[in-house]
Amino acid sequence: MKKAVRYFILALTTVTAVSCSQKKQEVSSCCSTKQHESPEPLPAISGKSLFLLDSRWETYRNDTLEFEDLSGKPVIAAMIFTNCPSACPRIVADMKNIEVGLTAAEREQVRFLLISMDPKRDNPEQMRKFASDHRLDPDWIMIRSDRMATLEMANVLGVRINPLEDGGFDHSNTIHILNATGEIAYQQHGLAIEPAEILSQIRRLINQK
Amino acid sequence: MAMIPEGSYLPLYAGNNRTNVAAFYIDKHPVTNGEFQKFLESNPGWKRSAVKRLFADEGYLKHWLSDGMYSTAEKNSPVVNISWFAAKKYCECQGKRLPTTAEWERVAEAGWTVADGSSEPGFNEWILAMASKPAPRSLPAVGTAKANYYGVWDMHGLVWEWTLDFNSIMSTGESRAAPGTGDGLFCAGGSATSGDVSNYAAFLRYALRSSLKAGHVLQNLGFRCAADK
Repeated sequence: MKKAVRYFILALTTVTAVSCSQKKQEVSSCCSTKQHESPEPLPAISGKSLFLLDSRWETYRNDTLEFEDLSGKPVIAAMIFTNCPSACPRIVADMKNIEVGLTAAEREQVRFLLISMDPKRDNPEQMRKFASDHRLDPDWIMIRSDRMATLEMANVLGVRINPLEDGGFDHSNTIHILNATGEIAYQQHGLAIEPAEILSQIRRLINQK
Repeated sequence: MAMIPEGSYLPLYAGNNRTNVAAFYIDKHPVTNGEFQKFLESNPGWKRSAVKRLFADEGYLKHWLSDGMYSTAEKNSPVVNISWFAAKKYCECQGKRLPTTAEWERVAEAGWTVADGSSEPGFNEWILAMASKPAPRSLPAVGTAKANYYGVWDMHGLVWEWTLDFNSIMSTGESRAAPGTGDGLFCAGGSATSGDVSNYAAFLRYALRSSLKAGHVLQNLGFRCAADK
């Protein structure tokens, strides 16, 4: 219902945004900014919240996701691609180390999120295979979008991505912690980092709630 | 816009391996204060007072006199103090997009009368002189210097410009340590991996891109749009 209301508002905004000259049909919604004045009260978010992004994502379970849907729990996230030979398995292993470091009760209060930087190849089936190969808890979320949304995501997270001729990427290795309202609360740069600091940051966010 | 035919350019770090670039269109000049103000009229969410901090640092449009207005004298000057997010949005609202780094550099290679500026007498020296000139307090209008071979103005000497994939330039130590993709590019002696060591201005552009984040704003960083052919 919440989504239906939002799409209705988006449609309205699109129709009323006539003052912006539209050369192409496919950009018809680009001049509207995301509306948060929905009849249902949404949690208050700041101007730094990733929930402001209006991109849509496809999950490895063939669902759609907007970042706002991640509201309410801290998120432990990283950008990866499933054909990544070395660094991405390592970053996922680092995230699993974090997961193992949490108590069962703490684990319930956070989400784990993998964001594909390779939307062309990481279709839901490919992402499911990666999740299975890496024995990810079914509770993890894996998503992809289109090129532009991926680029925007990389830029709000400060992740550098350099596409290579072999189809792979050079990229920053960063684990991002978002708080329950979508702001970047902490970033761990590098690989094979001892998780004590990031765990204490996650616990701080859990206890803030 | 000017049509740039399919061709190639020499990336800074690629030795002598030129990269192919498909045909595209690019704005003939950087987006001006006047043009950006028109965009704000229909997109008030991008005004200085309204912009979300996620999308632009403090300092966004700080050279404007007020929330929605620039100094009249700067109407035709390039808009600066602008973030990547704002530049991207502006272009999308024109049915365009930001140029890729490859596209931008391909146009920047052009001289005044030939596609390969490095073969044109005096061109490299002119770029160097432009690159080392400090930015004036008030920027001159676009399209007043000299158009290049493709009829495109102000690729050099006026402002730095955002590219769509500026974040593809890796800072040292960030990559998965693949060889030859920019490691040590900016260190002393690292220029040996550059294809054209005389292209000091390209070094400056790459160094700037590697240091930027998408919310950053600078008083000499603007943008122009491109489109697929």
